[in-house]
Amino acid sequence: MTEYFLHLAIISSFYIILALSLNLIIGYCGQVSLGHAAFYGIGAYTSALITIHWGAPFLLGLVLAVLVAALFGLGLGIPTLRIRDDYLAIVTLGFGIIVDLVLLNLEVTGGPDGLTRIPPPDLFGLNFRFKGNYLTLVMFCVLAVLLLVYRLVHSRHGRALKAIRDHEVTARVMGINTAAYKIAIFTLSAGMAGLAGSLYAHYITFINPESFGLHTSILILTMVVLGGMGSILGSVVGAGILTILPEMLRRFADYQDLAYGGLLIAMLIWRPQGLLGVGKVSQKFILPKGKKGT
Amino acid sequence: MLTLKSVHSYYGSLHVLKGVSLHVRQGEIVTLLGANGAGKTTTLKTISGLLRPRKGMIEFLGEDISRLGAEQIVQRGIAHVPEGRRVFSTLSVTANLELGAFARSDHKAVKKDLEDLQERFPILRERARQPAGTLSGGEQQVLAMARALMARPKLLLLDEPSMGLAPRLVKQVFEIIARLRETGATILLIEQNARVALKVADRGYVMETGSISLDGTAAELMDHNEVKRAYLGKGYQEVWE
Amino acid sequence: MLLQQILNGLTAGSVYALVALGYTMIYGILGLINFAQGELYMAGAFAAVLLLSAYEVNFFLAFLFGMGVAALVGVTLERVAFRPLRGAHPLVPLISAIGASILMQSLALLLFGPTDRAFPVQFEFATVDVAGIPISTLQGAIFGSAVFFMTLLVLFVKYTRFGKAIMATAQDQDTARLMGINVDRMISLTFLIGSALSGAAGIMMAIYYNATYPRMGLLPGLKAFSAAILGGVGNIPGAIVGGLILGVAENLGAAYLSSGYKDAVAFAILIVVLLLRPRGLLGGRGH
Repeated sequence: MTEYFLHLAIISSFYIILALSLNLIIGYCGQVSLGHAAFYGIGAYTSALITIHWGAPFLLGLVLAVLVAALFGLGLGIPTLRIRDDYLAIVTLGFGIIVDLVLLNLEVTGGPDGLTRIPPPDLFGLNFRFKGNYLTLVMFCVLAVLLLVYRLVHSRHGRALKAIRDHEVTARVMGINTAAYKIAIFTLSAGMAGLAGSLYAHYITFINPESFGLHTSILILTMVVLGGMGSILGSVVGAGILTILPEMLRRFADYQDLAYGGLLIAMLIWRPQGLLGVGKVSQKFILPKGKKGT
Repeated sequence: MLTLKSVHSYYGSLHVLKGVSLHVRQGEIVTLLGANGAGKTTTLKTISGLLRPRKGMIEFLGEDISRLGAEQIVQRGIAHVPEGRRVFSTLSVTANLELGAFARSDHKAVKKDLEDLQERFPILRERARQPAGTLSGGEQQVLAMARALMARPKLLLLDEPSMGLAPRLVKQVFEIIARLRETGATILLIEQNARVALKVADRGYVMETGSISLDGTAAELMDHNEVKRAYLGKGYQEVWE
Repeated sequence: MLLQQILNGLTAGSVYALVALGYTMIYGILGLINFAQGELYMAGAFAAVLLLSAYEVNFFLAFLFGMGVAALVGVTLERVAFRPLRGAHPLVPLISAIGASILMQSLALLLFGPTDRAFPVQFEFATVDVAGIPISTLQGAIFGSAVFFMTLLVLFVKYTRFGKAIMATAQDQDTARLMGINVDRMISLTFLIGSALSGAAGIMMAIYYNATYPRMGLLPGLKAFSAAILGGVGNIPGAIVGGLILGVAENLGAAYLSSGYKDAVAFAILIVVLLLRPRGLLGGRGH
């Protein structure tokens, strides 16, 4: 039983990192990535491949996972400068589908079967097959990410980001380099998703493209919307709820997607600020008062 | 015909109209003067139903229309020519005119009105199939006014018909307004160019920060010191004439 | 071989174009990417297939029924998932549309199961030689019907009162209201037409691939969206051209590059087009 709870806590942690990273893009850039699972997958595959094939140590795999995912984020972040928010969402979605297809078709990624026998982390001589140890490692990463996001949001840069989100034109007039900020956030966010991917791969020890498709991207999005777009704590809670609740309601597994779909619509209509996003969410996402139903 | 009683309107949380009261009688041309941001356009939008008043009453032909939507109010006989003309630029000139009669179901009469208007304003026939966006500013103003007339309105609301037009075209537009007056039309007119507006109008109101500060006949307002200083001054004249 | 691939591409492309028209019209009037357009395609196919399997009805009647059901679902979707969000930032209804998409997909999965359904009516299709190229009459029929529906739509928009009113509403809602046009009704009408066209497209593809299943709309829907962007969103001829180009490019890509990446072609084109010409090939309108 304890094993099971440890497992749930570890899985939740991956999603907390993913939700936080997507929330940076949504809540602080005012944009949506619908291909976020692709960065997660890129991280997982990078880390798995170099530890399996080159016998590289876990830490190197982890660092490279972050860097490679961030590099893809950078590449995808550049178009944000030229295209509209809603088109960008579709571009990220297309990117997600392309990555999915590449993982399915390449020989080195094992096609639909994916990769197996991914080594567990080799750190400090600890046995990471023991879930308690793995949870410690993962919690350490979650805390690091939380700290990073918290510091970022409450720094000078965070205020610039908020200005961009709420009044992009004004921000530009004030001399804030909005383009650089947006690309930086995209890159950072992708890197964080890559981190989650690496942690996931070395925990589960076998991966295939199925875990990194559109479905996962939408799940992460639902977590962010549920917790509150723009709320750090909201992402933690949203990810926690949507990892643990489905486990508790296994009997209703068939209805899971139905519930996610309904949840997304219902939240946006009745509680666009999310469960915890009160007062923190971008004004952009809340209906202007008095405009309702015109 | 039209009566506003202490009407209050908001843009979101911005209080724009703070108790506007005015009336327009059958067959009159009434002009609404005032500086930018005084609430003239908002007044017209509130009358035509694009904005819903929070407080106050708007009565048209004995009916309270303050709770009706724009698409219902046009059916009651109020046509609004919005600021900046707002023709449907990708649709043809004729399609624009036909849309003006969207609320009408007497299709034969609509057809006849279309031909009459083309008779009166030959440009509408010459450019019939051209996209409205390719017309010049003055031509677009003529089209916008003709489009409103296609609804056979009992009351016409005109918002800055001379805006952005060359003086020669301003003259043309006001000739049209004068001609409409001869046919017995009732018009509520907003115009930057107070001198021209008062020349064509019977009565006028002056708006200041969301309410009416002054009213009277056109002649009275023309002579009023305040109006002279603020709206008919020398500097003003130079800009506009 | 090359010509054959182009013909296959035009067949699929004409169907993408039909769905793309729905996207483009809805985007034009609401500024909304209706992510659930593919599910309307699926709904149309299921409705026709289920009716034909349950009752001995005429094929054309079932076709119309499928379009009708898709239209009904589309109009309901707008009422429930989009109308309450009107006026919000465009990403909000987009996320709502994503929610609607997975909701409908999983609902279909629960109701109809995951397996492919064959089309209940067998058609006798021949292959005819036209100038040395073998053409299946099925492909001809699909292409022909798609062109028929597109022509119908263009005529409707250009020459009818309601068609013009839809265009006017898409351009300027306030001024449209001043003409006495009921904007809500025009939006419903747009959803009705766009959804019916997607439903028709779904039925055609259900016949072409002889498979109807809950996720059948996902990729065609996304590809049709790419087609709409390719042609310039809000631009009706653009959607048609975009759909045809995409269908052909995808088939050529599958034939000459790698069949495994067939589905990636559309999105690669989308990304490149958006980078080079953010407003599409033929130019759309910003909303």
